[in-house]
Parts: sequence; C-alpha cells; structure tokens
Amino acid sequence: MGNKQTIFTPELFYRYRDLAPQLVPLDYTAKPDVTLPYELIGSMPELKDNPFRQRIAEVFSEDGEGNMTLDDFLDMFSVMSEMAPRDLKAYYAFKIYDFNNDDYICKSDLEKTVNKLTRNELTPEEVNLACNKVIDEADLDNDGKLSLEDFQHMIVRAPDFLSTFHIRI
Amino acid sequence: SMSARERIKAIQKMPETMKKKREISCLLRLIFSLSLSLSSLALQSYRRFRNSLSEYFHLLQLWQKTLKAIGGKFGTGVLSYFIFLKWLLTFNIFSFLINFSFITIPQFVAAKPNNLSFTGLEIFTGAGYFQETVLYYGFYTNTTIRKTENSASYNMQLAYIFTVGIYFVICLLSLVFSMAKSFRRNFINPQTYSGQASKLLCTWDFNITNEKAVKLKQKNLSTQIKEALFEVNREVLNFSFKERFVHFVIHLAAWVASLGTAVAACAGVYFLSINNLQLFMKGHKNDLEGQAAMLVLPIVASLLNAFIPFFYSWLGLLEHFQNPRHQIYVTVTRNIILKISIIGILCYYWLNIVSASESQCWETLVGQDIYRLVLVDFIFCLLGCLFGEFVRRIIGTTVCVNLGMPEFDIARNVLDLIYAQTLTWIGIFFSPLLPGIQMITFSIVFYVKKVSLMMNCQPPRKVWRAAQMTTLFIFLLFFPSLVGVLSVIAVTVWRLKPSKECGPFRGLSSIYAAISVWIEILKNYPGSKWVVWIYQNLFQGALFFFILSTILLIVTYLYWKIIEGRKSMVKLLRKHIVNVSLTCNFGFFVDCLILL
Repeated sequence: MGNKQTIFTPELFYRYRDLAPQLVPLDYTAKPDVTLPYELIGSMPELKDNPFRQRIAEVFSEDGEGNMTLDDFLDMFSVMSEMAPRDLKAYYAFKIYDFNNDDYICKSDLEKTVNKLTRNELTPEEVNLACNKVIDEADLDNDGKLSLEDFQHMIVRAPDFLSTFHIRI
Repeated sequence: SMSARERIKAIQKMPETMKKKREISCLLRLIFSLSLSLSSLALQSYRRFRNSLSEYFHLLQLWQKTLKAIGGKFGTGVLSYFIFLKWLLTFNIFSFLINFSFITIPQFVAAKPNNLSFTGLEIFTGAGYFQETVLYYGFYTNTTIRKTENSASYNMQLAYIFTVGIYFVICLLSLVFSMAKSFRRNFINPQTYSGQASKLLCTWDFNITNEKAVKLKQKNLSTQIKEALFEVNREVLNFSFKERFVHFVIHLAAWVASLGTAVAACAGVYFLSINNLQLFMKGHKNDLEGQAAMLVLPIVASLLNAFIPFFYSWLGLLEHFQNPRHQIYVTVTRNIILKISIIGILCYYWLNIVSASESQCWETLVGQDIYRLVLVDFIFCLLGCLFGEFVRRIIGTTVCVNLGMPEFDIARNVLDLIYAQTLTWIGIFFSPLLPGIQMITFSIVFYVKKVSLMMNCQPPRKVWRAAQMTTLFIFLLFFPSLVGVLSVIAVTVWRLKPSKECGPFRGLSSIYAAISVWIEILKNYPGSKWVVWIYQNLFQGALFFFILSTILLIVTYLYWKIIEGRKSMVKLLRKHIVNVSLTCNFGFFVDCLILL
C-alpha cells in the first residue's frame, strides 16, 4: 500500500552531524576519520528506549563496540529501513540476537533476549522453559542452538517481521 | 551479464559494511565501464533525474512525521490503520483530480446560471442550491462543448463515461496488484508459526520509540509468555458431546441473532427510504420540514452502523470462543455482513425504485442521498471520537478507574473506512465531485483520529497480526466493496434508462448507447478504423470475455496448484530433515529447505 519511505543520504548525514556538530565536518569530500561514541548514538530518540539499542549499535559498528563512523550509521539505517530485502534484515536481526558473536543463537543468547523483551519480569524458571520451547520449535537440525538458516526459516513464516524490524527516521 | 540495476540490487543484498559494498561496486563499475555505451549514459541521466524528482516528492510526502509518532507510541498495528487511511485518501485525491479536470472544468465553460437561493442548510442536505451545480450528474450538459464555431470540440457524454470507466479500471488494477503483493508476502508460506519461537524473536516492534510504550509492550509480552507457558502445561481440552452440543447451540443462536438484526436493520432502512421518496414526490421540497425529513434516512443508517457493532462485540463475548482470533474474525464477518447489506438494500432502492419514479432527475436524487450518507457518516465518526474515546477516557480515568483508558479498535475503524469508501465509489457516477468531499473528510478524520488517539487511547493489549489483517482488509475492499460497486455501475450503464431532461445522457435509451452512437460516427473516419475494429471484435462479442475469463481461471488454478505442490514439498522435506538429523547432522537438507 504505497507507503514505502525512502531515506536520502543527505537527511541521514544531517542526523549524524546533529549528534555532534563540533566533531563532524560539513565537508566529507576528504573522507575524514570521524567516529562518534556509542553514548551519542544510543541517545538518538529512535534508539534511546529500544531495549536492544546497544546490540544494534555493536552489530553495525566496525569496531564492534557501538562507536560509529558515518558509513556505519548509514548502514544501520538502511538495513532498518523499509526498502531493505528480507534476507538482509534477517541476517542482521540474527546478529543482534546473537549476543556472544558465535554465529549461533544459543540458550544463553535466548535468555538475554527474553530478559530484554520482558524487563526481567519472568522468573528464571519461566525464562528457561520459554527458551527451551523456542529451541524445540525452531531448531531443525537438532544441534541445540539456532543457526542462521534456522532463523531465516522462522522469519519466512512470520510476515509481521518485515514491518516490525524497521525504524522510521 | 547483469544490468547496472541488477548489480546494485545484488550488492544491496550483501550483508557487508558500507565500505566493502562501495569497494565492490567501484570494482564492478570499472569492469563494466568498458562496455558503457551511449544508451546507458542516457539511462543514467534519466535515473539521476528520477532521483531528484523523488527527492522533491519526499519533501511533499505528507504526514511522515505523524506516522512516525504514531508508530513510536502505538506500534505497527495501529499504524496500519493510518496507512490504510492515507492510501484511501490518495485514491480519492486521484479520482477528484481526474473528475475535476475532465468533467467539471469543461462543464464550467458551458454552465448555465444558477437561479436557486442558498440558505446554508443545503450543506447538510445537499439539495436545493446544490442541485444546479457541478456537484451532481443532473447539471452536466449533453451537448458537445466548443468555444467558437470551428474550434476543437469536447463531447461531454464520452468524457463522462470514459473518465469514470478509466478510474474504475485503474482502481481495480491497483487493488488487484496490491492484493497480490500483500498476499504473496504474507500468505503463500504454508503455515505460519503461531508458536513461541516467533513470538520471542520476531515480535519486538522496532518502530516503538516511546518510553511508556516500550514498558507497556514489555509487560504485555511477559504476560503473553506466561500464558503460553501455562497453556503448554495444560492438555488440549476435550469436550464431551453434551458440552460441544451446548457450544454449537450458543454459536447458532448468536448467528441467528446477528443475521436477524442485520435483516431487521435492512428492512427498516428500506421502508424508511420508500417513505422518504413518497414524501419527496408529494412536494415538501424546500421547506424546513422536508429538508429535515431528508436527513432521517442517513442518520438512521449511521446510527445502525454505530450501535449494532457493539451488540455484535457483546455477542462475541457471550460465545466464549476458544481462540481469541476466531472471535475477531467472526465479529469482523458479522459487521461486514451488516454494512454490506445496508448498502445493498440502498442500492436496490436506488436502482429499482428511484430510477423508476416520476422524479425529474433520478440520478441527482441518488447523488443527494449518497452525499447525505457520506456527510452524516463523517459527523458520526467525529462524534464517535468525542464520545467513544474522549468521554470514555474521562469516565475511565476519573469515575470508574478500573475501566482504564480505551483501546483503539483497529478492526471497527477500518471497517468504517471501507464503508465510507464504498459509498464514495457508488456515488462517483451520480455526483462526480464526491471524491473531493471524501478527500476533505478523510483528511479531517486523519487529524482528529490522530489527536484523539494520542490524547485518549492506550496501545492495544492483544497481539495484532498487522500484516495478515492488512491483507484481509485490502481483500475486503476488493470484494465485496469494489466488485459490488462495479456491478451497481454496470447495471446503471447498461440497463437503466437515464432521465429525459437532465444530465449528459438525456434522451438516450441507456447510457451505453452513447458509445454505440460514437462508434457509428467513427465508422465514417478512415483513420479511426482500429477503434471500431477493437470495439466490434473485443467488446461486442462474447468470445473475448469468454477467452479472458478462461485465461484468468487457468492462471489462478495454476498458481493454486503451485502453492499446493510447494506445501506438500515443504512438509515432506521437513519430515526428512527431522528424520535425518536424528541420526546425523546434515546441514545440506536445511539448505534445500531454505532454497525452497
């Protein structure tokens, strides 16, 4: 239903620059080496209340610690835009939930996710049960953890994912 | 060899950083620049032009900020209502623009002076002064308009019929395409996960940016997870024969009650409208009493539309559905039946009774009826915001605190929009400027709903499957809404006799006869033989439609079969994977499945 929002680089650039006008030059032709710290990125209104903000910043930053260059910043919002293809979104969603960067969503990752999703309102026992249920359902090759393929297979069947894994800028 | 566009797409799909992507694309451009030809240069400048153009449109894009705020506070479900509203608004803007430029502007050239006086009450009744304006069918001329004796001429009959016809063809195509797109995206996959896994890993709504909304969402999620865990421990309930029988009787009674109310509502509307017509024919045309009487029918219709849904929701609660989703679907179905049957009975009244009455210009009468219905529906929508949301919030937060703030009822609101759009579509033929009015009312509704939502409502607690429900709503807009409207228009064009003394088609035996006459004239011009040929071979013969519908049926059948085939294949492979992975780990089969 004709509501594709296209984002243009200039707009995103100004959003990036507004985070720290004293650090980011207006002229980028010389490709200056500027990196904004996570504290600034995480305080953007689009991210500041998101329980996964730190993970998002870590996944998209080159140094893996949430400090972002302009390219990283553009990367992040293009993946989170409406135009990004499903597989790309799935890949990055997988990385966001893979807290320990071992290329699998294992049980400890799931526990972290559940705690973030519910603000620690469940008892450890409930978290444990819920995580087991997820692995039971989505782990097709029975290795006790979710691979990227398992995750993609699940995404294909969750039509809402495309519209919810989306940050409006 | 890929085209430049395909290359860019492929690079975009790579999960690499921006830097890497830029390097790859640079390298590729170097390789391909050898084969750069003049045509691709032209293509490039065209693309640059298109980009700058869309940048301008982006600036013009309305309400992007508002949509963002709504999504941030209420999530994707409520947002889908506003996107739907915006989409309908563009339909109406487009329709208004083409009607205004191809029908109304030429009419201004040939307009007669309007002798009727304007009292102000006409804004509500649409009668009186407006009768002799471009608002209604009856005012349009049947002559060929030309400025001077020898200048180019403009045939009003053809303009009228082609503008409306082409608009509906465009509507039909765009609806079919968006339906297909949305369907392919959301339903083609064999079975959707309803389990825990997707609930956990795919439901976080990254749109939400408001602290309170985030907390609420987290709270709702934890209750849902708790409920789901509780359900896992509980065995599937097995009802005894007696209990099942009781359930069946309750459902049956609820259906009888809801259908009975719908039938009663229709009968009421029907007798009221016949009564109205008689009153009108007797001649209470311009006094106050007569004008007030005209408003009774739309007010009753809107009252029925506003209050019977509450009865249906109450019935749904009484029925104790096992699955809350069934309750939503059943309530939506009942509401649709009610709304469509009210519109259906009104159409029957317009096409069979008004058109056969002895009024001077029955098309204008129908146009006025629809104008009033649209206007009163709009007023009721505003009242609904005031009482249903504002007053309800004040009661919920001060008097009965345990009621709390009201939730935004997405399904009911979307159905109201579909109802209003159906009325507008029917009205386009009888009142060409109706889309303009609907355009204004929809923009007001957008703002009022937004303000009311922000002030009064809280995000819905239930999970709303936005993607699937959107598909359902587009489908409902297509059938019964658009298909029904098309059949009403078809009956009007082919079967009914236009009024003798008004409108562009006066004096013809049917509206369609205008086209036949035009074709007869075209036969004399050798340059337009192809139009005559197309008309004679494609539109007059039944063979063309027969072939067209056969092809359509075959394509649909093939698609259906492909889906069936995929479903069984996926099931088979799934079983296979489980079997294989029990003995050893084969990533290969997983890949197979992903490839599907």
